[in-house]
Amino acid sequence: MTHDRRDFLLNLLGLGAATATGSVGVGLFNQPAHAHSPIRPPGALSEADFLSTCIRCQRCADACPNHCIKATPETEGPVRAGTPFIQPREQACMLCSRVETEHLRCTEACPSGALQLIAKTLIDIQQKAQMGKAKVDLNLCYSYNDFTCGTCLKACPVGALKTGLWARPIVDVDACVGCGLCERVCIRYPHAIRVEPGERQRFDA
Amino acid sequence: MTRWLVPIARRCVQLLSLGVLMLLPIMALYMHFKEAHAIHDLGENNWRNVAVRGIERVVNKDESRQKLVQQTQGTIWSARLFGVSLSDPLAGAEAIISSRSFYKPMLWSLLIPVAVTVLLGRVFCGWICPMNTLLEVVDKCRRLLRIAEIRERDVKFSLKNKYLILAVTLGLVGATGVPFVALFYPPAVMSREVHLFVFGSTVGIGAYVLLAICAIELFVSKRWWCRYICPGGALYSLLGRFRVVRVERDENKCVQCGECVRVCQFDLRPMLVQITGMECTNCGSCVRACNDDALRFRWMLPVIRMTNDERPNDERRPNAEARTVPAQILRHSIFFILSSLVIGHSSLAHAHHILGLPHYSYKENYPQAPTLEYPATTGPYDLLMTSFPGHPVPGERTTIAFYIKDRNTGLPYELPVSLRALKTATFGENTLIFEPTVHEPTGNQHKYFVTFPDDGEYIAELTMDVEGKPEVIPFLMIAGEPTATKSVVIAIVAGLGVFLLVVRAIKLKRNRRRAANQRGAEVPHQPTEPLTTDH
Repeated sequence: MTHDRRDFLLNLLGLGAATATGSVGVGLFNQPAHAHSPIRPPGALSEADFLSTCIRCQRCADACPNHCIKATPETEGPVRAGTPFIQPREQACMLCSRVETEHLRCTEACPSGALQLIAKTLIDIQQKAQMGKAKVDLNLCYSYNDFTCGTCLKACPVGALKTGLWARPIVDVDACVGCGLCERVCIRYPHAIRVEPGERQRFDA
Repeated sequence: MTRWLVPIARRCVQLLSLGVLMLLPIMALYMHFKEAHAIHDLGENNWRNVAVRGIERVVNKDESRQKLVQQTQGTIWSARLFGVSLSDPLAGAEAIISSRSFYKPMLWSLLIPVAVTVLLGRVFCGWICPMNTLLEVVDKCRRLLRIAEIRERDVKFSLKNKYLILAVTLGLVGATGVPFVALFYPPAVMSREVHLFVFGSTVGIGAYVLLAICAIELFVSKRWWCRYICPGGALYSLLGRFRVVRVERDENKCVQCGECVRVCQFDLRPMLVQITGMECTNCGSCVRACNDDALRFRWMLPVIRMTNDERPNDERRPNAEARTVPAQILRHSIFFILSSLVIGHSSLAHAHHILGLPHYSYKENYPQAPTLEYPATTGPYDLLMTSFPGHPVPGERTTIAFYIKDRNTGLPYELPVSLRALKTATFGENTLIFEPTVHEPTGNQHKYFVTFPDDGEYIAELTMDVEGKPEVIPFLMIAGEPTATKSVVIAIVAGLGVFLLVVRAIKLKRNRRRAANQRGAEVPHQPTEPLTTDH
């Protein structure tokens, strides 16, 4: 009996040591959440909450009708590996516009609540889909450099791009949801208009 | 009759679950093409397109079927299967612990797996888990070792190790707030690799984790992962503690032949117990192996407390070598931590200049702009390297443009820069394929046209002036298929073959030498005696 108890205590000690070592090890790679935050799917929690809530199951990636959500490869480190992200210049979020659905597909697919449910209505999308904000690079944009272009103006699904003189795009930051369709259609390489990820917050149902 | 029916049913379920494993990403792929209205320009007839067309043929006529396919997504870790949401209990536990909250859809998705486990026990492990299926095949391959005359090693640990590993894992998840179990939990890794393979024809680091597990199973310890390590198996065992279907042994019929002990994949020794304990997967191997009809499945009320006789595991092992040494547990835990550190470290080495798209994220038959971008920073400048096409084939003219911007002023960099390109060599010097060329900026960026001669990895080295000092910034470029999956598989198989051959050769040589020694020991025994008698 005492032998059993000693074994148990030793196991407990081993357990504690392993947990402590592991916490330090994983903690080393747990960089500040806002550093290099990629663009997350619509309705994502704030980066720190998102990383601890997402279970890396890739259901949102499969559910996206536009195949814009990708899984982060393992080479990005153990903290980020498997989490979904969007590269708008490759494929942008079209806010499920051509699809019959009640809620945005990825938010409906998420089992863990890392993506908050968003109804497919302009009000709900503008309130909750906080993927980022578009930003124009004045050095690259054709319309700001003696050519008239205006391609991005037609791509915006929420009316966040206003036009100035000679089809120069001006971003209405309050209306922009960061879907990245403007970045996707930009004819300049490298793209002159880009989505920059911003702060996100939790919406209680 | 259950004696024959259960193993056959189990094989069918295993095949079905492998089918589902493949079907999940293929259905997602089908859905992507369907929603993009691109189903009719799929392109050539490779296996992927044939599968997608097959689904189209089945689903096309019926709107409700289409809806069902749309509602099929995810991995074995957490999936929606024809509208039914299912999650691994370990995923559920992990999500609850790391997010410190209960999310209703998650709880609903746990309902069916937990209910099945509570009623039938650890059936996920024995019947469904694709890793178990793979490892059963690997276990059969141990026969190959016998052919190669390698000693079959079977290092045994305590079956209780896995509970401690479960506790360590969940403790780590709670302490760090990073749900990392999916990184090493084999079914989840396998499902993710299948996704990668279906979408991008490659596999990631996870495949090497699986390979390492298989190698250890083959050479070191029989059914190592499932018996002693798997935290998922531990959780399923705990959930199946009070299950109602168990294997019961009839003591009057049992002749103690030990056949059931030999076939049990999970080392549970049904010969020594009245009813099987909580770790039994109800796979039916022992029932089938029993020649005396002594073992059979039985429905019974939950067994709350097992008497000593019924306790299945290590306490009553005949050879009594059950070990619960903390060092072993530590070793296993450290294995996880080290492997995750290795994965993390390999990323850090590249991360400072490769933040762009992984090269396998392109799908050649999906309509999208195949550009590649690598951001970098140096001094006060933000660099952006753009390559078009992003993943060039050898001989294709590739436009590489650099856009350099001062972070503080927002103004473009207006001095000339120089670019050269090198082909990286695994051994020896890198070869220069693009002479250093100096360019003035045009349209606020520096443009080069480079042609990569053949498959491989290249480095495009940009030299620019940062605050009076020349600075070299390397960018990795991949042309063609430098590490195709096929070549990796061929290399592994060839390596294994060569290894077995070498082992065989060494054995033969040693045997021959031993035989020669024996002969030598017998023959010169006599001539030595006359020599001694001469003196």
